[in-house]
Amino acid sequence: MDKNLDRLNIYASRLLSEKEYFVPGHRACQGCAEALAVRLVAKALGRNTVVASATGCMEIVSSPLPLTSWNVPWMHVAFENAAAVASGIEAGLKVLMRKKRIPQQKITVMAMAGDGGTSDIGLQALSGAMERGHDFVYCCFDNEAYMNTGIQRSSATPFGASTTTSPAGSLVAGQTSWKKNMPEIAAAHNIPYVATACTSYPFDLMEKVKKAAAIKGPAYVHILSVCPTGWRLPTQMAILAGRLAVETGMFPLYEVERGRYTLNVELTELRPIEEYLKIQGRFRHLTQEMIAQIQQRVREEYEKLKKKVQLTNED
Amino acid sequence: MSHKKELIKFQIDGLTVEAEKGQMLLPAALEYGFEIPHLCYHEAVSPYGACRLCLVEVTKRGRTMMTTSCNYPVDAGLDVATNTENVQRARQMILELLLARAPHSEKIRAMARDAGVEETRFRVIEDADDCILCGLCERVCREVVGANALTFVNRGDRREVAPPFGDPIACIACGACVYVCPTDCIKMKEEGDERTIVRWKRTLKMQPCQSCGKPFAPVFQLNWIIERAQLPKDFYALCPVCRKTKKG
Repeated sequence: MDKNLDRLNIYASRLLSEKEYFVPGHRACQGCAEALAVRLVAKALGRNTVVASATGCMEIVSSPLPLTSWNVPWMHVAFENAAAVASGIEAGLKVLMRKKRIPQQKITVMAMAGDGGTSDIGLQALSGAMERGHDFVYCCFDNEAYMNTGIQRSSATPFGASTTTSPAGSLVAGQTSWKKNMPEIAAAHNIPYVATACTSYPFDLMEKVKKAAAIKGPAYVHILSVCPTGWRLPTQMAILAGRLAVETGMFPLYEVERGRYTLNVELTELRPIEEYLKIQGRFRHLTQEMIAQIQQRVREEYEKLKKKVQLTNED
Repeated sequence: MSHKKELIKFQIDGLTVEAEKGQMLLPAALEYGFEIPHLCYHEAVSPYGACRLCLVEVTKRGRTMMTTSCNYPVDAGLDVATNTENVQRARQMILELLLARAPHSEKIRAMARDAGVEETRFRVIEDADDCILCGLCERVCREVVGANALTFVNRGDRREVAPPFGDPIACIACGACVYVCPTDCIKMKEEGDERTIVRWKRTLKMQPCQSCGKPFAPVFQLNWIIERAQLPKDFYALCPVCRKTKKG
C-alpha cells in the first residue's frame, strides 16, 4: 500500500469510523496513551474481532466486574498465555467454520499484552504461537514497565529509567540494562509482518494494524504507549513524548514485511535525545555522561536499522 | 436529556433487526455483521451508489427488486436478502467489469477472489489508471474537507474526476482523497520541501518550521486554514512538535 500515511498532516481524522469498540468509562489514568492505543487498535480491527488479553493495565481498567469497556468478544487470560489462548481461539474458529457451525467469514483474532506480558512473562507462549504460524495479530502495548502493579522494571524498561525496583540512588542510576528489542525478536521468527507504531502517529498505527489483520499468518505490532503516571510526565504531554520518542530516534517507526524493512518516519537528522529525556521525571537523575552514552547508543541503533532497510531493499 | 430516535424493525436474511429511521440499508446491515462488499460507500460522506457492489434483494409489499443498499433507506417490514443467487450473479458480473477496468487494484482482485471470480471475460485495459469513477474523492473534497477542488468532467466513456478546467487551483494537498481512494489510484509524494498529489498534478511548497527547520505542511494549506478558522497569521510558524516544546 503506497499511501504515504507516515506524513500524517493530512485531513483524514474525520474520515475515520465513528464506531467505538473500546468505549469510554474505563478507569485508566488521566492522559493514558495506552488506552488510546487500545481504542485505535480496536477501531482499526473492527467488529469481527475476538480479543485475548493478558493481565495488565488494560485488563484492570477495562473490566471491573460487572462492567466492561469492550464491544467485541474479549477474554482475560493469565499473564503468560495471551498468545497461546489466541492460537487456541484461531484453531477453534477454523474448526467451527469447517464443521459449518458458524458461517464462513473473516474473524480477526487479536492477542494483546503489555511489555511485561510480552517480553518477560509471555515470551515463550508468543514465540511458540509465531513459530506454529497461527493466523493472529499480536499487539504489544509497551509502556516500558509493570505500571499497573506500581511501576516495577521490566526488560522493556530503557537504560537509566528510575522505577520502584530500579530506583535511582547514589550507587545505581536507575535501570542498568538496555531495552530488550522485542520487534527484532519477533522479526527473527520470520513471520510475515512485524511493525512498530506509536499513538502519536494514529493513522500510521491504524494502517499498520489493518495490514497486520489482513495478512495471513502471525503478525506482531509493537506499540509505544506513553504512561504519564509511570514516566513521571505531565498528563498533557503524553502525545508529545511519543512524537519525541520517534523524532529523537529512541523508538523508530518501521515495519518488516516478509523480511523487508521499511522506515515509516525517515529522519534525516535525529533530534537530540535530551529533548526526550528532560521532560520525564524518571530520567531526572541522569548525568551528562549517561545522556551522551544513551545518545550514542540511539545513534548506533538507528544506523543499524537504516542499514537493514538498505540491505533488504536492494535488488 | 437524550433524545431517542425512532427505531424501525425489518428483516435481513431472516433475522429481525432494528435501525434508526432515515438510515440507509448498508450501514444498518454492516452494524449487524452482514458482509456486503462495497467500494464507493464511506460513512463520513453521503451515499452515491456508483460501484453497484452493495446490491441486495429487497422485498417490499410482496414485490422483490434488486437495489444498491448504500442509498436505500430502511423501512418497516422490509425483507432484505444479501446473498441470494441473483445477487451473487450480479456481483460477479460487476466484479468482472471492475477487474477489466482496474486490473492493478489489490482490493478489487481480493474481492473478486472472495466472490469466486477468477478472471474477467472482458478486454482488460492494461494501461488503466485504476480509477473506477466511484467519486469518493470528489465527495470527500466537497463534504469533509470543503476545498471543492475536484469534480466530474465530461460524459459517457470520457467521464473522469479532475480539477475543474484542468487547473487544481483550489487543491490544498491535504491528502484526504489519497486516504479514501479504494483502488489506491491517487498517489501523494513528498520530496524535499514540496508535496505533490500526483494524479491532480498539484505541487505545493511546504512551510518550514521556524525552530527546527523541518517542512511540515503546505504553505497554501496553512493559509487556507488560517483564513477559514480566522486564526492569527503566525499560528503555524512552528511544527506540531516544536509548538509544544518551545511554548512550554
